[in-house]
Amino acid sequence: MAEAAKRKCRGVDCPNDAGTLQCPTCLKSGTDSFFCSQDCFKRSWSEHKSIHKKNPATGTFNPYPSFPYSGSLRPVYPLSAKRTIPKTIPHPDYARDGIPRSEQKLIGRHNITILNKEEQEGMRKVCRLAREVLDAAARELKPGVTTDYIDEVVHKACIERDSYPSPLNYMNFPKSVCTSINETICHGIPDQRPLQDGDIINIDVTLYHKGFHGDINETYYVGDKALANPDAVRVVETSRECLDQSIDLVKPGMLFREPGNVIEKHAKGRNCSVVKSYCGHGINQLFHCAPNIPHYAKNKAVGTAKPGMCFTIEPMINIGTHRDRTWPDDWTSTTQDGSLSAQFEHTLLVTEDGVEVLTARLPDSPGGPVPMPSAA
Amino acid sequence: MSADFEDEDAPPELIDVSAMPADQTSVDEEPTTRVPITLVTGYLGAGKTTLLNYILTEKHGKKIAVIMNAMDIEKPMTVNQGGQEVTEWMEVGNGCICCSVKDSGVMAIESLMERRGTFDYILLETTGLADPGNIAPIFWMDEGLGSSIYLDGIVTLVDAKNITRLLDEPAPEEKAESHDVHHDHGSGPVLSMAHMQISHADVVILNKTDLVTDQELEAVRDRVASINSVAKIHVTDHSQTPQIEGVVLDLHAYDHLADLDFSKKGHSHMDPAISTTAIVRPPIPADKVDCVDAWLRSVLWDTKFPAPAKSVSSEPHPVDFEIHRLKGILILNDGSSRIIQAVRDVFEIRDAEPISTEDKSKPLQCKIVLIGRGLGSSVEPWQESFESCLAAK
Repeated sequence: MAEAAKRKCRGVDCPNDAGTLQCPTCLKSGTDSFFCSQDCFKRSWSEHKSIHKKNPATGTFNPYPSFPYSGSLRPVYPLSAKRTIPKTIPHPDYARDGIPRSEQKLIGRHNITILNKEEQEGMRKVCRLAREVLDAAARELKPGVTTDYIDEVVHKACIERDSYPSPLNYMNFPKSVCTSINETICHGIPDQRPLQDGDIINIDVTLYHKGFHGDINETYYVGDKALANPDAVRVVETSRECLDQSIDLVKPGMLFREPGNVIEKHAKGRNCSVVKSYCGHGINQLFHCAPNIPHYAKNKAVGTAKPGMCFTIEPMINIGTHRDRTWPDDWTSTTQDGSLSAQFEHTLLVTEDGVEVLTARLPDSPGGPVPMPSAA
Repeated sequence: MSADFEDEDAPPELIDVSAMPADQTSVDEEPTTRVPITLVTGYLGAGKTTLLNYILTEKHGKKIAVIMNAMDIEKPMTVNQGGQEVTEWMEVGNGCICCSVKDSGVMAIESLMERRGTFDYILLETTGLADPGNIAPIFWMDEGLGSSIYLDGIVTLVDAKNITRLLDEPAPEEKAESHDVHHDHGSGPVLSMAHMQISHADVVILNKTDLVTDQELEAVRDRVASINSVAKIHVTDHSQTPQIEGVVLDLHAYDHLADLDFSKKGHSHMDPAISTTAIVRPPIPADKVDCVDAWLRSVLWDTKFPAPAKSVSSEPHPVDFEIHRLKGILILNDGSSRIIQAVRDVFEIRDAEPISTEDKSKPLQCKIVLIGRGLGSSVEPWQESFESCLAAK
């Protein structure tokens, strides 16, 4: 029990941790809402009860009705029941209680793992599977489909490939994939919101297979309206190009501070901004490890790429401000001005003379670059 | 009417509007002011708490927050401001810590200021045996991150009465652990945490000087200066500093470079473990800055001494060394200049503000000051190595 993460009281502006007291209505509907005391619950009642107001047609509701959302996107709860993975599939250490202990062992900020041939083969395999799962999810995208359904597709596709979906329960993340719509920068939680014609959506898939993690994401256009929106195309294609241009740098001797310069230069040239709060990361037997690779220019990142290292580059590009704001779910990161955000990611292996894009697109991968809508 | 509806209609308690969440809708591209944060290090008994209490209670009209345990997720962070003490647990469950570039301690302080209003200064008290070299890089953030705080400098309190014993005969728990996982210090001189605290310091406050003789004080001062020749040394007793600005506050140790002149002449070797050494040379061509960058990467990232193409000096090359702090100024032939700052392996070379032309008598020189372990007894090998990297095509 001591290991259980502390729950915050849902009381308005209450700094306390919650005990075991839960709102009876929420308890009935399966919503996670605990309070520190009856007094605090009473105090927050007029605020709190609005979350009981479900949409009568769908039974869905917004769990944080008073949060100052920066754009028009809202969480659409309840989340579906927690999905499980058969015990026969190896689980990462955090699957049980959410804490990635192996990542937290201090093995040195800049001590970067060099993978041997066999380990590189393990990375190659899991990254290929991750690409297949991402493609399977992307093929289901169309107006009307919920992100929870995308989560189900990803979850099942992982199991079919004898893999654990790495996001599931990582730091208590509730779902098997991150789905980030429109102003969401990253870490969106799949819920009951149906996709709309005109949305852009990032699907961020990571698999854990035979001891290795493979991480990939792409942003897709939903419906023809998205393809006709110059802002949407500008931010998505800029993000795609930023990733491609930064991968061009990767080879032994590349300094980890360099991709940020290339990414920011290209983004600025397209009148877009670069999110600074999240960076690329080492990946191997651990989901996230050294090195950190910032996506912004003039950073002081330490270290040099060497053959056998694996890491991601995953620039997040915004139409407006680079600043981010996190929803009260502690995960969903959105732009502070509600403007569109897009992201692309590959897992990369540094080779003797260059780079191998382990999560490279396949000939039949959905998505891909589109032209700017004909200029008005 | 269902039971649920009755429930919804229950008479609500009054809500104090001041308790409602603050409006956060303003979208500022960059914060207008950044709050300086000073790390205060020193052993238990060196007078950290006395100094901090003194600063908190003195009438200076500044809003100063003193934070303890900010880097320890096992303990609540204690913040003292204007005599009021509040305790806060750090939020560690906030999103994905691993791919977030900011440390959770930094985010905890930022969120604290968002909720409680900003301060003029923040003093962060480290535990007695903390290695400031592990903490400083966390707060020396890239400007691009737009944090509301910035590292102003490191102040180390030294107990004039006990420091010699702590440097020469540290208890096992007072020894500095090697942060280089590849090799131990082996048979080298003992490195204590007191060494680390002095070598990383921008300011050293020699405290409890009322307990030592003038002669002893002079010996302690020499010893400290031999370890770190560029730190400013202030002498005090009972942790009382007549002036806190420039001594504890407004150090600008990581963004300005006031001067790199040593307080002492020559190069003294009183401390067997750690010393300061300085490379000096005439202005360099602007296109050689990349060479300097490569030289710094070798020295700071790979802890590899860049062997000079042709060695004239009879001095042995440093082999097992470790730079704790490095500062420098590069004067370029085009008249511009660059500032170098480094703590441990993190470094930057940035454009300097134009050098004041008041003092034309002193010819402008490039200068790189290194503070660390195993630098050797002479600057000659370093000088040769640096020259050689500049000469390389």
